[in-house]
Amino acid sequence: MKRALHLRPPGQRALGAAAMVLGTALLAPWPGPQSLVHVALVLGFALDPASALLTAVWAAAGGWVLEGTHRIYPHLGGTPWADMTVALLARWLLLEWPVDSLKTWMGRQAVLAGLWILLVHFAVRLAAGPHIWGWTWAWVFLSLPLWSWIIWRWQRPGGR
Amino acid sequence: MAHQHSPWGWSPTGRRRWVLIVLWTGHGAWVLSGPKAGGAWASFASTATRPVESAAAAWRSWRLHRAERAADLEQARAQLSALRQQVQMLEAAQMVAGPQVADDEAATRLLGLKTKVPFQTKAARVLVAPVGASFGGLILDAGADAGFTRDQGVIAPEGVVGRLWSVGATQSEVLPADAPNASIGVMLARSRATGVLQGTGSNRGEIRYLNNQEVVQPGEAVYTSGLDRVFPRGLLVGYVTEVKPGDLELQVKVALAAPLRRLPAVLILPLPSPLEAQPPLVPQIRTGGAP
Repeated sequence: MKRALHLRPPGQRALGAAAMVLGTALLAPWPGPQSLVHVALVLGFALDPASALLTAVWAAAGGWVLEGTHRIYPHLGGTPWADMTVALLARWLLLEWPVDSLKTWMGRQAVLAGLWILLVHFAVRLAAGPHIWGWTWAWVFLSLPLWSWIIWRWQRPGGR
Repeated sequence: MAHQHSPWGWSPTGRRRWVLIVLWTGHGAWVLSGPKAGGAWASFASTATRPVESAAAAWRSWRLHRAERAADLEQARAQLSALRQQVQMLEAAQMVAGPQVADDEAATRLLGLKTKVPFQTKAARVLVAPVGASFGGLILDAGADAGFTRDQGVIAPEGVVGRLWSVGATQSEVLPADAPNASIGVMLARSRATGVLQGTGSNRGEIRYLNNQEVVQPGEAVYTSGLDRVFPRGLLVGYVTEVKPGDLELQVKVALAAPLRRLPAVLILPLPSPLEAQPPLVPQIRTGGAP
């Protein structure tokens, strides 16, 4: 039997997701911190257990904002698609297999973050051609305890 | 009875699902339509269709070449037919002109000899050349009407032929050098020893009266010595084929240089003959043995 999540009100969820999107846009000059906010959006703040469509929309919005602020890709769309895909997967995991332990939560987030990095790179490569890896993946993994704990607190997957 | 909405139908839930699907697949399609992806897909499609395109190109090439080959074959057959007719015509023409050509060649060679020999000679065509005739052999188409007399020397471009044996009004008969009753004064090229060549038949002869002390080697050239007053000194007679010491004299066998039975024309030397004909004016190459 699935356990019911303690959802935040829709307004708070939208506000949190919008804040992350805005942060992604404002942090464009600093790709490292921007990636931190971006992954927090995709794997946490965009997830709406009540609506897969809203999850996809917020995740895609973050991806479009990120690529739009970078202005380096000849053909946009790779990051939004990867964001949507991973966000939908994370939402599905959140609904199907809620976790109680922060450690388990972080492990799952680490796996999802790795998958998200690979998928983003693959999609951008498909859409815009080869590009450098950069060091955002390192920022994402090194800051994983921080952003995954923030999401843990915000999303309350453990039911607190 | 409560109406149950299908999650994929035209209900709020279904509509949201369809919007989500469209959103996700639309993004995916947009990603795949990127420049790199487009190029990759084009490359993939090109690679995938390459075998078919190659097969089609090979098929077109084969058909084109088949048509060309058929046209070429027809053309080749027509050319072959024309060439066969041409060959037949040429063969017929050659058969007609063959004897004339041979006569012309012989006349040309004879003319060359005549210009090289430093004395006046007269040419005559050989009408008959019987094999193995002892007394008289070749029959010439000229006789007293051309001023011929008996014992005039007869030569050919290859070498000495013989001498006139009998002279008629319009024909004359030659005693060939290989006849048993024919004799020619000869000398050997290297030792300068002189002797008399006596015919032994079959385009061969034997030198008589050579001392056993003379050194003669096979292959040595034999020239006329001029001592018989029929031939001038220095005309090629033949080549030594065999040397054996005899009881009283050296036995030297000679292959005559001139093919006596295959001569189309000859030159008649004047009488009395000049004393000398320079050796360089006569053929120097060895023409082989008797035919």
